[in-house]
Amino acid sequence: MMNSMNDASVSQELQKVFEELKSMFGSCEAVHIDARQYKLIVPSDKTLGMLTYLKSIGYSHLSIITCVDWIDEKKFELVYILFNWSNGATFLVSTFIDRDRPVFYTVKDMWPTAEYYERDVHEFFGVEFEGNENCKKPLMLELWDDLPPLRKDFDPLQYSKEHFPDRTYEKDPIHEARIIRGDIEGDIEGGEIDG
Amino acid sequence: MGEMKLFFGPNHPGLHGNFSVHMYVEGDTVIRARPVPGFLHRGFEKLMERRLWYQNLALIPRICVQEPDINEACYAMAIEKIAKVDVPERAQWIRMIVLELARIANHMWAFGGVGGPTGMYTSMYWSVSDRDKVLDLFEELSGARIYHMYIIPGGVRKDFPPHFEEKLVKLLDYIEGRLPEYETFVLKNRILHTRLRGIATIDTETCLKIGVTGIGLRATGVPYDIRKIAPYLFYDRVEFDVPTATEGDALARISLKPQEIRQSIRIIRQALEYMPSGPVNTKIADGNGLRIRVPKGMAYAKVESTRGEYGYLVVSDGEEKPYRVAVRGASYPQGLYGVEHLMPGTRIDDVPIWLDTMGVCAPEIDR
Repeated sequence: MMNSMNDASVSQELQKVFEELKSMFGSCEAVHIDARQYKLIVPSDKTLGMLTYLKSIGYSHLSIITCVDWIDEKKFELVYILFNWSNGATFLVSTFIDRDRPVFYTVKDMWPTAEYYERDVHEFFGVEFEGNENCKKPLMLELWDDLPPLRKDFDPLQYSKEHFPDRTYEKDPIHEARIIRGDIEGDIEGGEIDG
Repeated sequence: MGEMKLFFGPNHPGLHGNFSVHMYVEGDTVIRARPVPGFLHRGFEKLMERRLWYQNLALIPRICVQEPDINEACYAMAIEKIAKVDVPERAQWIRMIVLELARIANHMWAFGGVGGPTGMYTSMYWSVSDRDKVLDLFEELSGARIYHMYIIPGGVRKDFPPHFEEKLVKLLDYIEGRLPEYETFVLKNRILHTRLRGIATIDTETCLKIGVTGIGLRATGVPYDIRKIAPYLFYDRVEFDVPTATEGDALARISLKPQEIRQSIRIIRQALEYMPSGPVNTKIADGNGLRIRVPKGMAYAKVESTRGEYGYLVVSDGEEKPYRVAVRGASYPQGLYGVEHLMPGTRIDDVPIWLDTMGVCAPEIDR
């Protein structure tokens, strides 16, 4: 039976990988989340190289690609979550791209499932992934006609009010039901309700 | 013979939730398949950004209908990582018991699931009725049968009610007694063998390449279980085995389930033994009642669900509401990429078996 590595040795290993990455790629910042999890903040032009390197040293399981909309800073933060099956360590590789020109590169050649994660991010944030030809195909949202919905400037309440307006009834259906039941007296002539 | 397009779903007895596959078939063999998700897209990630940290607890169990507790656990664990809060020891053990009970309930449900597409309805009646006994306990513990909202950031909502532990032990004995019957009736059944053996086969290399985790991966012979490899809660303090099979087909995946139930029972028994008394929750952050503010930060928390890695990425900007929550559904890889690239070659009548035993769960893909 496999035994898990203890937290301290995983933490040491993560720190070691971070030092290596720093010497190989230059500017790279690490945020310590817990003993088994580091967040790496990487410049966008170094991200692909770093992901390739991390994959080659065992961080080969891509859990998810996702995005955070930092609207005040006018940036999108792309987060790649990589997991190492042999030591149980996780890296969140994060990179910032321009919100006004949200274009990045695909990683689907390294992780085939990334094709779908990228389609997801494109649909909900509008980020384009060069090299992923299916990126613009709709996935969850059919016939979507508004801003990508997970952007912070998309207002779901307003969208819902515009697309699904409140119903107005010319007659009060509860009042009519009470007449039909015989609770009160009244007239329901021409009793069709406008919906 | 010409190619024909057929629709599978969005409603089908072999599916958990609504999910559609557009199948291009020649004769009765699928030659191309296209997954069509989105029927259950309810916008959870956006909704969560608009609600208070604690309000979301009523929302998140609904993301995965068949196994709701993992959502609560991931959400709570991610927040605790950001806030750097230590949860009381008793709460950690209780969480483990709840998660393992949920695993048992869900594996029971899976026997019913495989009964649908294979026409073995007896297994469905049996397993649903036995699962109900687990739900009875959940009702006693949390007040709800399905959506418990029991695991909260900082611990669990309440301690065990009186005599709960005795009832739990009784239930474990009962389920353990039932397992041989399930194995005889379901796993040694000739019809089921004929229908499941060699169907929906997947190998280790493909699993690792596309990111299939959980039973799908373990049925190919790799003992990868997050509870062992990156232990959360107190999984490193209990003894349990990770059952594996080598065939990688539908039968192997189903036959791992009773073995996993046995391990869950083993874990719960140890948890009951080691559990100390004490408080069951702690304050996460300063704030007025339920209006807490979680410090700035980002964390990813994952658990081993019955279908594999299930995780939440939570981002906080220090306000009263989450800034962003992203959900990693366990069946995303096999449900989307897998359907497109691995399903071709399957016969039409095996498609529900493919989807069911691969653990494709529509609500967690759509979110």
